[in-house]
Amino acid sequence: MKLSISNWTINQKLALVVGVLGFLAVFAGSPYKGFTSTVDSQELAAIVEKEVDHVSPEELAGWIISGKSDYRLVDLRKEAEFSEYHIPTAESIALPSINDGYLNRGEKIVLYSDGGIHSAQAWFLLKANGYKGVYILRGGLEEWKDKVLFPRLAENAPPAEVAAFEKAKLVSTFFGGSPQVGGAAASSTPAMALPKLEAPAGGPVKAGAAKKKKEGC
Amino acid sequence: MSSTEKTLTLDDAAVHKRTHTAREAQPYWNPYVAGLGLGLVLLSSFVIMGRGLGASGAFSSLVAATVNTVAPSHAASNTFYAEYLGDGTKNPLKDWLVFEVLGAIAGGFISGLLAGRFKKTVEKGPRISVGTRFVFAFSGGIIMGFGAKLARGCTSGQALTGGALLGLGSWAFMLAVFAGAYAVAYFVRRQWT
Amino acid sequence: MNAPFFKFGLFGDDVSLIVAFVIGIGFGFFLERAGFGSARKLCAQFYLTDLAVFKVMFTAIITAMVGLFWLSWAGFVDLSLVYITPTYIVPQVVGGLILGVGFVVGGYCPGTSCVAAATGKLDAFVYLGGIIVGIFVFGELFPILSSFYESTPMGVVTIPQYFGISYGLVVFLVVLMAIGGFAGGAWVEKKFAPKVKES
Repeated sequence: MKLSISNWTINQKLALVVGVLGFLAVFAGSPYKGFTSTVDSQELAAIVEKEVDHVSPEELAGWIISGKSDYRLVDLRKEAEFSEYHIPTAESIALPSINDGYLNRGEKIVLYSDGGIHSAQAWFLLKANGYKGVYILRGGLEEWKDKVLFPRLAENAPPAEVAAFEKAKLVSTFFGGSPQVGGAAASSTPAMALPKLEAPAGGPVKAGAAKKKKEGC
Repeated sequence: MSSTEKTLTLDDAAVHKRTHTAREAQPYWNPYVAGLGLGLVLLSSFVIMGRGLGASGAFSSLVAATVNTVAPSHAASNTFYAEYLGDGTKNPLKDWLVFEVLGAIAGGFISGLLAGRFKKTVEKGPRISVGTRFVFAFSGGIIMGFGAKLARGCTSGQALTGGALLGLGSWAFMLAVFAGAYAVAYFVRRQWT
Repeated sequence: MNAPFFKFGLFGDDVSLIVAFVIGIGFGFFLERAGFGSARKLCAQFYLTDLAVFKVMFTAIITAMVGLFWLSWAGFVDLSLVYITPTYIVPQVVGGLILGVGFVVGGYCPGTSCVAAATGKLDAFVYLGGIIVGIFVFGELFPILSSFYESTPMGVVTIPQYFGISYGLVVFLVVLMAIGGFAGGAWVEKKFAPKVKES
């Protein structure tokens, strides 16, 4: 064996270089964590104030009905709750795993949980990790039930509200909910059964969107 | 004429370069250097596009587009073709892989021309006829096309790209390709010897 | 840094097609340089007389793999944005076996057949015709095949993820395996070297 490196063939030199780089890789840590971005608290505060990062339940319902697919809807609750009911087309990603690589930084993401706390926390975790298009479903699942699934029309509502309610009825039926007319505005919703989902649209997330075939080979 | 062969001693363990007969204008490159070049092309694809290389997908687009031209309703109702046709707003041939394969044809042509390796010929061994070689080539192509679609890729996409990205299925695929090829190679050896 | 550039919106779909063409040129160029425009050279791999297929393929794999690892580690590339084909383990293995048979019977794979056709090999044109027929057959049979095609999905899963070992360690092991294979390959080639007589 020739020991002096200057006598090595080109192949042996290449092998040495790649061997060293490979060896060092063992000690380098995860390549996924290399990407950093700075958290600009002023920028984030401005976004929060202007509420440009909110999506209303009615808006989301409209997106789902029209088949809009340029965003990902993320359900942050536990799997049991997800299986019981989730908004159609949602994917289940638990809050602690939100930065584990299921979501791409270039995607538009809409987060929801029961109310607003977990989605707000997930929003911040994603924003701090360089995600740009992150939105929160305003009011979470509670407001979804209230406004989309079980919309309520008060007894002596003005004509404008009656007209708007017609549309809400169609939306509600689409999602398997039941619109209510009149009745007490108090919390009567606990008695309402949540619609059964036939086939869970978008089951537990295993990353990678099957929709976008065009990147295959 | 017999071909000359140059085998190197065990000292140069990793080096093996063949010299060919005078009918080739230039010898092929050192495979490791060629592999390095290929690897850098693949890497640049990752860095620029966030995706790797491929080949079979381009042919799928071609088939889907052809079926669509001839029998549009049939194409639309078939999930496989429909995937490549998209939602009808875009010409299926305006696809990244189609352009990449066109580039590969150009690149191969340029390299062959520069190396004096461009020649209208049929590669085969001395014991079979051109027709037989064509039969092998055509049937091999059919089998390959079918297998590539089943496996969701071919050697360029699944093995090379997926291999570099450490995809589990891609590595399994790679092993299967070598296994399948070695298993059958003996039975078709008369193509070359 | 913002790479992969396309995923960060640095250029649009139309420019990406030009990028595809340019990258393709590089792809085809190096394939031909390696001699992969020749079915004879490609198939020699499977008769153990010339292991260029293994050498080129694995050199390319480790180059891109190691390069991507370090560029991501350095924060230059966002690895999570690089597309990985989802794993459907059984169809991929079965498809791979079939593909291997097609490779050695026909003498090419889709990429190399393009390069061979570009350098004048008529058998490559015939092979390309076969590929198109094969894909057509698959497409027509797809209604029957689709449940098999979609079976055993495992999502996007990498070897480090599946085996629970660190990415860097897998990189090193693959590099070791490749270099070991190259060294062993020289021995194999010598052992199976044919005494070829050409008329």
